[in-house]
Amino acid sequence: MLGYVLSRVLRALLTILLVLTFSFFILQLTGDPAVLILSADAPPEALEAFRREWGLDAPLWKQYAGYLLNLTEGHLGRSMRDGRDAADVVAERIPLTLAITVPALTLKVSIGVTAGIVAALHRDSWVDRLVMAFSVAGYTVPSFVLGLALMLVFAVWLGWLPAAGADSWRHAILPVITLGVAGAAVLARFTRSAMLEVLGQPYVRTGQAKGLAWHKVVTVHAFPNAAIPTLTVAGFMLGSLVAGAVVVESVFAWPGVGRLLVSAVANRDLMVVQAILLLVTVTMVTANLLVDLVYGLVDPRLRTARTGERGA
Amino acid sequence: MTDAALPPSRETLTASSTTVPPVTRFFRAYPPFVLLALFWIATMLFVAIFADMLRPYDFKALDLRDRLAAPIFMGGTDRHILGSDELGRDVLSRLIESIRMSLAIAFASTAITAVIGVTLGFLAAHFRGWVEHLVLGAIDFMAALPFLIIALAVLAFFGNSLPLFIALMGMHGWERIARITRGLAIAANEHGYASAVRDIGASPWRVYGRHVLPNIASTLIVAITLNIPEVILLESGLSFLGLGVQPPLTSLGNMVGYGREYIQTAPWIMLAPAVVITLTTLAISIVGDWLRDKLDPTLR
Amino acid sequence: MSVLLAVDGLVKHYPVRRAGGLFGRRSVLKAVDGVSLQVPEGRTLGLVGESGCGKSTTAKLVLGLIPRDAGTVTVGGEPVTAVRDGNWRLQRRHMQMVYQDPLGALDRRLPVGLQVMEPMDIFAEGVRTTRRERALDLFDAVGLSRTLFERYPHELSGGQRQRVVLARALILSPKLIVCDEPISALDVSIQAQVVNLLLDLQERFGLAYLFISHDLKVVRQVAHEVAVMYLGKIVERGDPEALFHAPAHPYTRALVSAIPTPRTRGRPRLILSGDPPSPVDVPSGCAFHPRCPIVVRRCRTETPQLKPLGDGRVVACHLASHTPAALAAAAE
Repeated sequence: MLGYVLSRVLRALLTILLVLTFSFFILQLTGDPAVLILSADAPPEALEAFRREWGLDAPLWKQYAGYLLNLTEGHLGRSMRDGRDAADVVAERIPLTLAITVPALTLKVSIGVTAGIVAALHRDSWVDRLVMAFSVAGYTVPSFVLGLALMLVFAVWLGWLPAAGADSWRHAILPVITLGVAGAAVLARFTRSAMLEVLGQPYVRTGQAKGLAWHKVVTVHAFPNAAIPTLTVAGFMLGSLVAGAVVVESVFAWPGVGRLLVSAVANRDLMVVQAILLLVTVTMVTANLLVDLVYGLVDPRLRTARTGERGA
Repeated sequence: MTDAALPPSRETLTASSTTVPPVTRFFRAYPPFVLLALFWIATMLFVAIFADMLRPYDFKALDLRDRLAAPIFMGGTDRHILGSDELGRDVLSRLIESIRMSLAIAFASTAITAVIGVTLGFLAAHFRGWVEHLVLGAIDFMAALPFLIIALAVLAFFGNSLPLFIALMGMHGWERIARITRGLAIAANEHGYASAVRDIGASPWRVYGRHVLPNIASTLIVAITLNIPEVILLESGLSFLGLGVQPPLTSLGNMVGYGREYIQTAPWIMLAPAVVITLTTLAISIVGDWLRDKLDPTLR
Repeated sequence: MSVLLAVDGLVKHYPVRRAGGLFGRRSVLKAVDGVSLQVPEGRTLGLVGESGCGKSTTAKLVLGLIPRDAGTVTVGGEPVTAVRDGNWRLQRRHMQMVYQDPLGALDRRLPVGLQVMEPMDIFAEGVRTTRRERALDLFDAVGLSRTLFERYPHELSGGQRQRVVLARALILSPKLIVCDEPISALDVSIQAQVVNLLLDLQERFGLAYLFISHDLKVVRQVAHEVAVMYLGKIVERGDPEALFHAPAHPYTRALVSAIPTPRTRGRPRLILSGDPPSPVDVPSGCAFHPRCPIVVRRCRTETPQLKPLGDGRVVACHLASHTPAALAAAAE
């Protein structure tokens, strides 16, 4: 058990290190940031000063070591646009992003899983087909199209909700729905097939034969087993919260981390991009790690396999 | 036991199937949604290929006297069937050109993805050892991060030019193709025809090219097909954000992005490309799923 | 008769890790542990044993399909390596393999005629028309109708497929064919036909066979010499008739007594005790000692070597000098 946990943690840390190294070297390859920021025909003294200020004139390995050291202290460089600490710039946007992604996640899981279970229990009925149709629509319609469509209907034509900005809780409704729909669609489909597979298993029929009430069979036997793969998918969704928010925040002019990333990319503000990259990596890796650990705890098959096999 | 108590015999059941009319059999093989999807895809391909002949105006042509004209079904004239944008450019013409651009990018990058994925998958399966570990590590790395973030980071670091953009799109999804290819190639190598032919003395090129690839092609084709709508969504998403296809070139996402500012005054600018994106990705997904069910019904 | 295939001291060990992931105990799987044998030109050596005894691994080592850890293999005087270079590929022309699963050995997307021709394509022999002619000739030789040339593997029966595999193996006129359980996947009625075909081809083309099987009855029919394998070692080798009528090694005795024939109705069956161990946990001394009905203390500590028995056979057993009658008495 300990070996399992350790190897997973090690793997997570390795991935983070890899991403950091990757972004560091890419940064080096993109050419001279001084020239990028100050433009090619700036006077050489200005370029030199810039380089010295940002520590760009030290040898490569020294820069790399300094880079890693800074990270451990929490310095992620400074935004090349306004000179503020990149970590601060990103951190102040996090609450706003969480304000829409967390409710969206709740929405995804509650609606998606429920819909999937209902569809599985009424297989091939009109309920099932309806759920599946919505599910397909949900994940093939791109999020920005859905967002704009909702904006068009509810903000422009009906005028019930505000179109953009983040001034009140009402502003959050459309972004949350847009974010939640795609994930709910994927989860619905996934839960449905997981449930169907489980319902076809002999132990479910045994439960019925034993005389258990149907709803008990579902909640006690079927669902927990179907939950395991569903958990994995939900876990990955947790990790990709920021990625999902990028487009939606831009559609609704919601000033979160996603929107910051877009403007940082457009302005080539590399330090901020790097900071967000790190944030996303850590989130994703942590989420995956949690899923792996919970998986290991929950699935008894994995537990016995780990304690060693007798005679292979 | 009398005959009446028995279920209908095998003979009677099969006899009825031979009297099914050919029309029904056709629709069983090709469900209506699949037919519609195929029809839509064919239309899009046609538009993309014959764009120059189909569009009424050049997509950059300005018509400053007729700005923000409504489409014909919303009270406009037949000068601009789907309306015009803020610079008087014909929406239909821009739409046709955008379809060509988006589809071209989608196919070009999927081709790149397929080549990278299949090659790396074969390399991992053939050489095993550290080569395989390297490839698997790369696969894990790609799968660990959402591609959108990686794409944004690369665009930030390297700037944006169309060839770079297409190459970047080509990096989306290679890890899934590589994983499938590796799995199938290893299975083929362990037992059977691949090792038999290799034991006869065939070179690895011959083994993979003439034997393994044709046999795993159907599974690969499904995976590759399902990659295309994702690339379309990714490209249009990035173009919508202003980070993908840059003006003066136009793409579907690009049009939606510019149309967004006029959502209240001229919603048709963004509606037309949005609808096309949605229907095209939906159609390709339907066809991909249908292909998968058809080629390997055990693999649901 | 000159020796075609000479194998001496062949060893293949696989390092394995027991359960526990990165921290498991390391162990060795002794697939082949010192095997020596010879096959003369135009003759058949039968290799028998249960699953897991190392027969298939021996086959692959002999053909140079997997690298060996120790020992030598020569075919026609030339050493066989496992490095797949040009030399290795050229050696393929002299030795081929026939597999247990003929459907698995054939590419289901290509017509069988093309697959029979494939070795000629690989070695660039002849031109397209002559290759086709030769392939058709081989169809005749193996008893396949020429009309099957364009058919696909799944359209043929099991026996027909095995003939296709044989035709493909023979097209470059090899001298040695290693048959790894070539008939166990076929129906019993077809087995006899294929066996007769193999014998016929041997006579016509002077082929040497290394015939591997767990089925003793068949081996008895085709082999000029039989070797019995147990957990990676040969325990008895010699003339088939002598081996079957008076098996010297207790394991051979058990195998022979398990063959159901009308004559054995009154014969005492030699039942082995215990489970067949895995090649990862090879017992000390004589590998067979945990299951041997006549085990003595020496068997647990000292590994028996192959020693001649006097009638041309060799046996690896400390008690081999005893007569079969005494062995039978000890078994009761």
